[in-house]
Amino acid sequence: MRLPDTVVSYLQDEFLSETRPFCLLIDRKYRPVDSWGDGGWCGLASIVPAADVREQMPFLVGIPIDAKQRLEFLEMPAGCVVNMHLLPDNDQCYVILLDASADHAAIQARQQSVNELRLMQSRQHRLIGRQRELISDLVEAKSELDHHRREAERISENKSRFIAMMSHEFRTPLASIINYAELAREAGSDSNHIQKSIETISRSARHLTSLVEAVLDDASLDAGEVELLECDFEIHALLSDMAAMMAPMAAEKGLSFATFVDPDMPKLIHADEVRLRQILINLLGNAVKFTHEGGVKLTATHNQGRLVVTVSDSGPGISIEDQERVFRAFERGGNRGETGAGLGLTITLRLVELMGGEVSLDSMPGEGCTVSVHLPVVASDDTTSPTVQVLPTPSDDTIASKALSILICDDDEDMIALIEHYLHRSGYGLITSANSSEAIEKVLKYDPDLVLMDCNVPGVGGVVAANVLRERGYTRPIVALTASKLSEKQKLAFTHFFRKPAPMQELLTVIKRLTH
Amino acid sequence: MIPLTSKVCVVGDFAVGKTSVIERFVTNQFSEKYLSTVGVKIDTKEIDFPERGVAHKLVIWDVAGSDKFGATEFAYLRGASGYMYVADGTRPATLIAVEQLHRQITDKFGPVPSVLLVNKRDLVADWEVSDSRFDKLASKFPRAYRTSAKTGDDVDRAFTRIAELVIDDELRGA
Repeated sequence: MRLPDTVVSYLQDEFLSETRPFCLLIDRKYRPVDSWGDGGWCGLASIVPAADVREQMPFLVGIPIDAKQRLEFLEMPAGCVVNMHLLPDNDQCYVILLDASADHAAIQARQQSVNELRLMQSRQHRLIGRQRELISDLVEAKSELDHHRREAERISENKSRFIAMMSHEFRTPLASIINYAELAREAGSDSNHIQKSIETISRSARHLTSLVEAVLDDASLDAGEVELLECDFEIHALLSDMAAMMAPMAAEKGLSFATFVDPDMPKLIHADEVRLRQILINLLGNAVKFTHEGGVKLTATHNQGRLVVTVSDSGPGISIEDQERVFRAFERGGNRGETGAGLGLTITLRLVELMGGEVSLDSMPGEGCTVSVHLPVVASDDTTSPTVQVLPTPSDDTIASKALSILICDDDEDMIALIEHYLHRSGYGLITSANSSEAIEKVLKYDPDLVLMDCNVPGVGGVVAANVLRERGYTRPIVALTASKLSEKQKLAFTHFFRKPAPMQELLTVIKRLTH
Repeated sequence: MIPLTSKVCVVGDFAVGKTSVIERFVTNQFSEKYLSTVGVKIDTKEIDFPERGVAHKLVIWDVAGSDKFGATEFAYLRGASGYMYVADGTRPATLIAVEQLHRQITDKFGPVPSVLLVNKRDLVADWEVSDSRFDKLASKFPRAYRTSAKTGDDVDRAFTRIAELVIDDELRGA
């Protein structure tokens, strides 16, 4: 059906007014041949004759004109938007430009909304991703904080228990020392009273020392500073030592003491002897301490690379509720009447874990207690006797057999007086100094046969002083006598190292050995 | 100097900053406002290469953003002497779009001089393209730049480089 001419004419007028066609005929070299319509609306009011139209119509650059084609929505530099039609005709081509600004504006508005929405979604996804990351970070941080909080609570609990223990356990021997010292100073005290006071003071001081040692051991384990020193040693000798040490203590309380050692127990085992001894002393000491009737039994077996040491007693036993508490620092289960730091089992447990083993406890109230330590311990194939350090007998080997001088550097007057007393008695000449810098000068001036050096003293400090002396040519022994804990590197500055309180007999023996 | 006129098409996903880098290059201006391009926007700018004796007029076709081209877009690209592929460094998906467009165009028109622009480098806090990701994509193009239409960083260099590559290509063809 053909449209009526009136309609065709109407549509033609509408199309022409809306699209404002501009038509240009060009040859194969892009030169204008003819044109129709007004190109002013698209910046082509006048076409330069015989010139390349691509100068005025750069959008034709690269466009082949030998094929019919239509390119929609070309936005010109001038701002107008055209639909371009290329219509080849023999060797020429019609370039028809139609105004598409109205359609372009409508589509652009729609496209703008769509793109903005997509951008918003993209940002939203990114934000959700970041939110997830933040939540994950928060959860991790919270978990870390919880861990630190629990650790802080544990430390705080330990501190509270420590203070509670200190207030009782430390005060008691301290009070005893102070009171008996006062008593000994009282006018009219006879020698028997003085002797008894001294014995009590000495006993209380030893007790205090053991408390301090326990607290320091616990702190070292807490800080991860304890290192195992493994060597081959005779397990039978260690168990015999334990029996020799504990049997008299048990006998004093009217308790029996028995030791059973597996006949297949190897002669030599490879482990940290000092720490194993410490574990056994703690377990046996506790068993003897808390048992009032019956006895204590020590059993040791070795099977498939595991050493099992069991300490059983017929004491009051430990309730299920208390069994966990006794392994916590400064706790003593239900036995509140007994003395001690409440660290024995804590240290034992930590040492056993450090050695790769486990501790088990089997007890019921009124039925005694059995503590077993399981340690991975290999039997040593080495059949040679372990190295045993032989020290000279103190009584003979403490007296100087020639004229010797010793310089003591310590800022504690009482300590200097005490050491002076012992060294004088052993026949040594003494030079004293309370300052390590001054001590260096005195050593270099008087060249003593040995230097006894505290580490935490005024001046450059004992370790630096020892190093300076070595650098300045002093070659004789320098012995550390200090309450400080020294690193292995710091110890290298010294010929020998003593931790206060040092046994005087041993100190004198070492001094003689180093100077003779 | 010898005049040379070349058509260069700028392609990439929507809102990666194609129009902005062209505006920065042609008029040295930048607008924060986003205006989506419909169809194609045509601009021109001449770069002189005195050492080569060439005055190179670039006819720049800013093609509407898309991650995949159809017949309409391919009609715009016909006769292009070079391509500038633009991605947005804050939207990793636009790098995938560039890879896809590069594959489509190369399949359709063969190897044509091109450069890669990973744009919006000024948005440091939102940047999500790692160096290794950038390097991996960059290896597919003769040259690649991290650009900022906002600050102008490396925009001129990228256009100058595509102009040089087109000259080299034209000379080889001649």
